[in-house]
Amino acid sequence: MSGIALVIFGSPADRAALGLAGAAEQLGGASRAIVVEDYQPEPVLDALVEACRGADVILLSNDTYSQEVAPRLAHRLGGACVGDGTALSVVDGKLRVTRQVYGGKANAVIELRRTPAVVWLRARSFRSAATPVAALLSGSESGDSRRRTPKIIERRETKSETRLEDARVIVSGGRGIGGPEGFANELEPLAKLLGAQLAASRAACDAGWVPPAWQVGQTGKKVAPDLYLAVAITGASQHMAGISEAKTIAAINIDPDAPIFKHARFGIVDDYKKVVPLLRQKLAGLKS
Amino acid sequence: MNILVCMKQILDPEVPARDFRIDAARKEAERGSASLVTNIFCENALETALQFREKAGGTITVLSFGAPGAEDTLRKALAMKADVAALVVDDSDANPNPLTVARVLAAAIRRLGAFDVILTGREAGDWGAGQTGALLAEELGMPYVAFADALEPGLRIKRQTESGWEILEAQTPLVVSITNDEHNVPRIPKVRDVMMAHRQPLTQWSVAELGVEAAEYYEVIELAIPQRETRCELVDVDTLARRLAEVAAG
Amino acid sequence: MSTATREIYWNITGVWVMYALLVPVLGIGAWGLGRRIARWRRGGAAQRFDRPAVRWKRLLDHSLAQRKNPVFHRLLTYGFIILTVATIVVALDADFGTSIMRGRFYLWFQSLIVDVFGALVLVSVGVAAARRYLARPAKLVYTSEATLILAAIFVIALTGFLAEAWRIAATRDPWAAWSPFGSLLGRAFGAVMSVEAMRAAHRGVWWLHLVVSFSFFAWLPYTKMKHVVTSPLNIYTSNLAPIGAALKSVDFEQERLGVRKLEDFTWKDLLDLDACTECGKCTDACPAHAVGKSLSPRDIILQLRDLPEGSDVIRGASAPEPLWECTTCAACVEACPVFIEQMPKIVDMRRHLVMDEAEFPDGMQAAVLSLEKRGHPFSGTQATRLDWAEGLDVQHVSKTQDAELLFWVGCGGALIERNQKVIRATAQLLRKANVKFAVLGREEKCSGDPARRIGNEFLFEMLAKENVANLTKYKVRKVVTPCPHCFNTFKNEYPQYGGMFEVQHHSELLADLVDDGRLAPAPRASVTFHDPCYLGRQNGVYDAPRAVAGASVEMERARNRSFCCGGGGGMSFVDEPADKRVNQERAAEALATGAEVLATSCPFCMTQMQDGINARKGAREMRVMDIAEVLWEANA
Repeated sequence: MSGIALVIFGSPADRAALGLAGAAEQLGGASRAIVVEDYQPEPVLDALVEACRGADVILLSNDTYSQEVAPRLAHRLGGACVGDGTALSVVDGKLRVTRQVYGGKANAVIELRRTPAVVWLRARSFRSAATPVAALLSGSESGDSRRRTPKIIERRETKSETRLEDARVIVSGGRGIGGPEGFANELEPLAKLLGAQLAASRAACDAGWVPPAWQVGQTGKKVAPDLYLAVAITGASQHMAGISEAKTIAAINIDPDAPIFKHARFGIVDDYKKVVPLLRQKLAGLKS
Repeated sequence: MNILVCMKQILDPEVPARDFRIDAARKEAERGSASLVTNIFCENALETALQFREKAGGTITVLSFGAPGAEDTLRKALAMKADVAALVVDDSDANPNPLTVARVLAAAIRRLGAFDVILTGREAGDWGAGQTGALLAEELGMPYVAFADALEPGLRIKRQTESGWEILEAQTPLVVSITNDEHNVPRIPKVRDVMMAHRQPLTQWSVAELGVEAAEYYEVIELAIPQRETRCELVDVDTLARRLAEVAAG
Repeated sequence: MSTATREIYWNITGVWVMYALLVPVLGIGAWGLGRRIARWRRGGAAQRFDRPAVRWKRLLDHSLAQRKNPVFHRLLTYGFIILTVATIVVALDADFGTSIMRGRFYLWFQSLIVDVFGALVLVSVGVAAARRYLARPAKLVYTSEATLILAAIFVIALTGFLAEAWRIAATRDPWAAWSPFGSLLGRAFGAVMSVEAMRAAHRGVWWLHLVVSFSFFAWLPYTKMKHVVTSPLNIYTSNLAPIGAALKSVDFEQERLGVRKLEDFTWKDLLDLDACTECGKCTDACPAHAVGKSLSPRDIILQLRDLPEGSDVIRGASAPEPLWECTTCAACVEACPVFIEQMPKIVDMRRHLVMDEAEFPDGMQAAVLSLEKRGHPFSGTQATRLDWAEGLDVQHVSKTQDAELLFWVGCGGALIERNQKVIRATAQLLRKANVKFAVLGREEKCSGDPARRIGNEFLFEMLAKENVANLTKYKVRKVVTPCPHCFNTFKNEYPQYGGMFEVQHHSELLADLVDDGRLAPAPRASVTFHDPCYLGRQNGVYDAPRAVAGASVEMERARNRSFCCGGGGGMSFVDEPADKRVNQERAAEALATGAEVLATSCPFCMTQMQDGINARKGAREMRVMDIAEVLWEANA
């Protein structure tokens, strides 16, 4: 495939960007990269349409702005878009993208029938490669955009640490945690001891116990840690869809028949309120 | 404020994995014993619209493109106090691609009137393409904001990002896709409203009546259920601590 | 020998005052009673006058024999009746020219029996006072009204004795021996008082007795003492169906669904409120109350009783919170000596909150939504309806010609992993006994019980009609189910929707099979049986499950007094505070028996008791098993 463009929201040195480069390499190598700064929806879209003209394939990552822009970019350029790709291939000159569907219960292989193919990927699932030198595109400097709105006027980060998608170790809580106290008093200290990021299933986020940004699953973050410790999480397929790339899954759950045990490498069947304090004790002991 | 909410009816995504089967030839999930439900994000979108209408006033139209059974989704929306309902019946046998869907919805929307805010769910629980809102915006020539969870008159939109949230200022008309939040959990309708919803009128069109043709976009080449099962080793707390520490150390 | 009798109105002048006082007394009393009757009539319709023979028997058992009441109350009742009859006899002789108070009748009844029962009344009042003010049971209601009533009864009885004593002593009554207590008292007074003094005292106390008695009767309809009229009425018009059939259906054409205003209740409900004696037995029996929750059936009834007409009922003791703590176990209904139906009123109020306001606990909302969408309340379950049948070659009802019965598995049985083993064991037992059964498999939908108990009658009716239609389509005649909730719904609630099936709980069928020798019995062992509320108290099935499980140990609260597991009424779908768990309370009781096995026969009880035992067992092991699992162990 020739004419592969990478659109990067964030730093070209991020793992996500390196993953895009790795995915591009699989297809023959990226010809160019565009790094976007000061994102504003309409000006950036207009500018990207110009910047990407002529490309056969445009690759983006699975961040908010990429997902917002990708289908429209495809439409403007007369191409087709598909998202959440976990594997790529080329057959008879056409790009095929593998992605999870039906809440993570099935995998689909999708062939794009229009050019350019605009694909956003689970970039961190692809091996890293060096990003080509990138052209900068600034949202605030795009003067001849048709529209000034919608305009982002305020940004707030709920957690300034490493992004969940980049975390190596994750401790995640589900419906069985029972309330925000469980996260604050039990899981947070445990996460500290393991050097882990905290995450949650959709149930815990919907209940308002933790911020939505912690949500892992089909409609939350897709993570690929070395270790994912699921505490009081049932393990329904929608949640599993977000951790399918996790190397090791461990589980603590009071229900021996919870589906999470079908995906976990090891675990304990017991009330997390009993196990986690003990676990913290042991871990603290191991440290010293 | 004229608000329109697109709603999709899908196979119950909570069907147990054991009961989930694929028709490999048609490249679709088998219906089996799964019920038909409204996509949860579409319900979040309707709830967002209802709360927005409480603040800004106006009417809510709900629109669906699907099998005749999608009428249930619209009746439930009317029970939640949407004002107008319209259904475009999909009589083709194939699973329409996102561009076809967007074109059909756009054609129906032009027939239904002028809208200030058009809401969709962020993605559907079956195919999860997540493109309907964006492509619809292009077809209608409107701006687009994704992953919103709240609207305020003004127009102010709050949307979720991977690390937190953002506030956007916007002008109507525009298309917004909605994601779930603790504040837009869909309300339970009152029984009286459920009973009345069945007596309300419902506009119905076929795709041909709207003059839309299926678009080339992409094709599902293969659909399969991955084989994946591990034997979970049940251990004691000591062993658990050791193994976790080992793996976490890397 | 002169005929035995005494002079009516001896030593009393100005008796006309008594007759004059009668007018306001009767007036005030009648007006009070009339006001209550007008209040009941504001309520909706109810059919409560059928089957008079059964009703009269119930009245005799519970109003007269008072099976549910302690001895001292029975003595008070009989004493009151006898003393009233005696007074009527006096009135008849005084004003209607009869001569009843003569000879044998005067001696045996008017003297001896009256005297003895008068004394018993005094003793009973003493017992009541000691209980109320010394023992101070929490279930009683402590008001100044209650104190005054007790005091009034005491004064009436005492002044009666004093009048009698002074008369006997002052007239040297030749028949004094026939009034043992009166004459005893008379002799004591006679020793220290002159005849003149006694005559004066007699006069005074006679008028005191009159004033207090008259006031008491005028005041009666305005206090809980009205129960002497309303309780028998309530017992007569009580619900003759099993408690499991106590819920009413809803007319969806009404402006309000369920009960929001006082008049949304039926006349019978409103009569219930006035029949309450404030005894508190219902609250004492309530499992939610026992673990410290705010629900108190007694307080709900009394608060409703004291509401002015046209009031909004959902406030105070019936504020939403207590209503959502009820497991619908009906221990309150069972405990009530005057047959008040507390639990159905709670469901009536729930119905309004659920159907007209859509305001009810999140967990129950999720269950109801899941019921609507997928026909079972267990949102998020990964189990399927036929998981239990793996490897068992079970027939679908459409594929078999010679099935004797439909084995209705129930949602709890099929979709909760622990219960799948129970269903398997039951199926294997039926197979072993050569009982040909069929199942509905994936076509099985929730019976609707959780929807009905949570208060969504609309959803319940939909499910009921669907199920009846489905079973009718497959020509099902007999249904056997291991779930008491399904059992109750099929047996008592589906007939209204045209579903006339022969219905058995699996305990009944299994007990029959053992009796017929088609299955080996389980040996009597260290097994204690927990009666499910919907099988035992609400449907009267107690012996079959015990026989099936070989139970030999009884918990203290057993059979109709069984203590709920905490799972009914939609409560298994909500989170209870950690220190207020009904199941843990029951688990402690089970563990205290020392038995090795706790046998249950309900999927909700199984889940609740398993959790409860796990939480309370400490070092002790106690197996929780369904009766079918116990029986299968003896037959495998």
